[in-house]
Amino acid sequence: MLSFLAVFTAFAQEALPGIPRNEVIIIEDPSGRSLNPGRFNIWGGGVTSWSTGLQQLCLASLWYIDPDQGIEGDPWINLLAAEPPIYSDNYKKMTVKLRKGIYWSDGVPFTADDVVFTVQTLKANPAMTWGAYMEVNVDKVYKTDDYTVVFELKKPNGRFHSIFTVRWAACYIMPKHIFEKVKDPIAFDFNPPVGTGPYVLKAYDPNGYWFLWELRSDWERSDLGVAFKTKPGPKYVLYKGVASPEKKVMDQMAHELDIIHDLPPEGAITLAQTNPYCVTWFDGWPWAHPDPTLPSIIMNHERYPYNLKEVRWALTLAIDIVQVVLQSYNGCATISPIHIPPTGKYPEWYFDKIEGWLKNFTIKVGNKEFKPYDPEIPQKIANAVKYAFGYKVPDDPNVLKKMIGYGWWKYAPDVAEELLKSVGFTKKGGKWYLPDGKPWKINILCEAATRSVMTRAAVAIAEQWRKFGIDAQIEAVEPSMLWQRMNYGEDPDTVYWAWCIETWGGHPDLFWFLESWHSEYYRPTGQAVVAKNPMRYKSERIDKVIEELRKTDFFKEINKLIDLGIEYVKICVEDMPIIPLFSYNVFTVCDGYYWTGYPTAKDPYTNPVPNWANTRFMFIKLKPTGRK
Amino acid sequence: MWKNFLKYLVGRLLVCLVVIFIGTTITFLIPRIIPGANPAEVAVRRLQMAGTYLPPESAERMRQALLKLYGLEGTIFEQYIRYWREFLRGNLGPSFASFPTPVLVLISRSIPWTVGLLALTTVISWLVGTILGGIAGYKNRGLWMKIFEVFSNAVRPIPYYILALLLLILFAYVLKWFPTGGAYRIGMNPSFTWSYISSVIKHGFLPALSLILIGVGGWFLNMRNLVSNVSHEDFVVFASHMNLKEDIVFRSYVMKGALPPQITGLALQLGMIFNGTIITEIVFNYPGLGMLIYTAIMQADFNLVMGITLFSIIAVAVATFLIDLTLPLVDPRIQYTGK
Repeated sequence: MLSFLAVFTAFAQEALPGIPRNEVIIIEDPSGRSLNPGRFNIWGGGVTSWSTGLQQLCLASLWYIDPDQGIEGDPWINLLAAEPPIYSDNYKKMTVKLRKGIYWSDGVPFTADDVVFTVQTLKANPAMTWGAYMEVNVDKVYKTDDYTVVFELKKPNGRFHSIFTVRWAACYIMPKHIFEKVKDPIAFDFNPPVGTGPYVLKAYDPNGYWFLWELRSDWERSDLGVAFKTKPGPKYVLYKGVASPEKKVMDQMAHELDIIHDLPPEGAITLAQTNPYCVTWFDGWPWAHPDPTLPSIIMNHERYPYNLKEVRWALTLAIDIVQVVLQSYNGCATISPIHIPPTGKYPEWYFDKIEGWLKNFTIKVGNKEFKPYDPEIPQKIANAVKYAFGYKVPDDPNVLKKMIGYGWWKYAPDVAEELLKSVGFTKKGGKWYLPDGKPWKINILCEAATRSVMTRAAVAIAEQWRKFGIDAQIEAVEPSMLWQRMNYGEDPDTVYWAWCIETWGGHPDLFWFLESWHSEYYRPTGQAVVAKNPMRYKSERIDKVIEELRKTDFFKEINKLIDLGIEYVKICVEDMPIIPLFSYNVFTVCDGYYWTGYPTAKDPYTNPVPNWANTRFMFIKLKPTGRK
Repeated sequence: MWKNFLKYLVGRLLVCLVVIFIGTTITFLIPRIIPGANPAEVAVRRLQMAGTYLPPESAERMRQALLKLYGLEGTIFEQYIRYWREFLRGNLGPSFASFPTPVLVLISRSIPWTVGLLALTTVISWLVGTILGGIAGYKNRGLWMKIFEVFSNAVRPIPYYILALLLLILFAYVLKWFPTGGAYRIGMNPSFTWSYISSVIKHGFLPALSLILIGVGGWFLNMRNLVSNVSHEDFVVFASHMNLKEDIVFRSYVMKGALPPQITGLALQLGMIFNGTIITEIVFNYPGLGMLIYTAIMQADFNLVMGITLFSIIAVAVATFLIDLTLPLVDPRIQYTGK
């Protein structure tokens, strides 16, 4: 169907009135339609789409950590801040030096007053986005001069800066001169928005389908202008909601959509094969960009039999990852055997260091020791992809590792069988029965429609488990339903195919998601989990790792952070609290007809996925091709 | 006569009000008794799902603060009383997902597009389908009627998404006669100017065509079958034997006799338009209530779900009420005594 569309849709066009096509870059807003388009008060809540340019082009935070290499080769980027935060020895005080020379888009200088005002306003309103965080953490905030802000914290916290460090998003700084005149900072719509970014809002659709931004005439005084002294390429940026994947393909074939946020694999591959101007993260198989997010099989440890390590390991060994990757991602997934996404700089920080240990790692099966790790999986995937789809795959195993991961767990149903029998399970007529004699049923709750790769992966896993003898089915629901049900964990016989591990990508610290795995935040089934522990995993060893992380400096003790991360990985591999499969690979597809300079695996200066606020840095690299 | 009518009118009006009351109460209760469908919880989760840093203590604090802000404290009964009090003052409350934007503002932005598109296409498909179906059922001859019947039977089974996509490919991408989506041209400001109105018409043409094509076949086939049955009724046979002109028999006896079920269908369908058409909105990037209600359900936005459903309940109840009042005018066999 998509190939058919591609052939028939080559040259349709619809230009923006009064704006030459070669001056505007058109980017997909994956939210489709913003239902409350006139609201830009991101702090007050009620902004229904964060992918309209507001956090990408207009508002800014103090620091950014790029999930890839970073625009100047360092993922840590000081944007509104002039340098990284300075913590006191006891981590109860954080001092921030701000950049000088940045102006808000309405011509008012950006100063420490804005930062202080933002924090005070949020602290006084815990219902505002980031308000609760400020209330819980900040004792006092004040300036010592116009470009220095001091935060006094209620308790030691060496990660306080995380709230102002963009990974997808962060707490943005509000313009004091606008908000101080407002009676109710929640009710205020902040329309038109005023930011420190290089673009201003020119127009938007009252129905929420598009947002048009124009380059500031004083872009040199914007945050990007001051920090990088480079003029952004596009004069205009249009964020446009396109809900159907077929339409995205057609629009890009007609060169009317420069960046597609995500597509089902076949849509992206069709474009890559038929549009000569197509730009993808990898220039060929596996095309997609791996996000620092780790889809996994999440099992509630309070539910029998998922409280048993042997069962969790048996389920792992009953999965043939090659087949799952082929069926879900057309072979384009980046696999991970460990509980860290295989993306950004993590291969170097963690995977290279742990692989030797993984090769020697054993699990006890009866009286024998079994080595479950299979480093040949990437080669097996490459061979299968070559055979099944005819894609060109590299021969060099090291190149292959960087593209699709290091290895995964062996497909070993015989070992899985022994593990299950060791905890009282029985197999009759090819079907598994629980120790109480009831048939073993598993319902895999997964996303429907919105992310087709996730649904397909769930189908593939269910197939594998059925083949193994478990009565496994999938139940596909809308994402919010999936997360809601997973967070309460009350579904009987259910495992969840989602994610709870997300990382910076550009920094090795795992505290960002791991903090909530500490047993002090544990919530029993029936109560909503506090953050990222929907499996309700409790481990004294993990608690110790988290406590050590709390004491470890984010900036000065990188090696210790990595060592603690490796300790965490080892505990997780032994316990297998959730079954990690692969990173969430995003098929962001760019069109090089009007614009060039998109980030790619060869020049990974930032994440190309357009709903990330980090894509801000892409605009100074984008240049017109000269086509009209 | 008038006494009977008045009694009938009051009875029907009471039924209409009871339907609205019960429908509203059910819509109020359902989202509140679904486990975990808590708007504050959903708002926190939405931030976390999106990748916003919200460590454990802050997430819990935010959840409590939002519950207070959203006015969701207190028992369900207290909330229910509060809801009716505000409703009778004309206030449907704020949307939670779009807080603090009032529900009525969100609905009022989408409703003109949905009503404009669906009311027009429903009436056009009904008129075309009913007239042609009537002719086909009574006269049952002519090449054009046969062609239309084949066409209706061929189009009806096509999934709407595919039909809409095919129209889009053909007319927007291949022939380039119509825009690829939206309600009007990107960059244009809504205004009472010819360029804006013509843009709205041009952008609405393909969504309207897709809905008419998929809708007309049903009305056509229903009417054809109704007319085929009515044609054999005694009063039609009698009229024919009275040597009345064929056109008079057709218009005054056959069509009039066959119309009540079609009118009922039309009124109910018009009442249902407040549910929107989400697929049309997705394929054509068309604004409307479909996407609004879908998102509201997904985000546990109780007030918005209530608001849109309320419009739908009132519309269906009023439509049913109007049917009850008008059918006796169309079909003399139906009387205001309710018999």
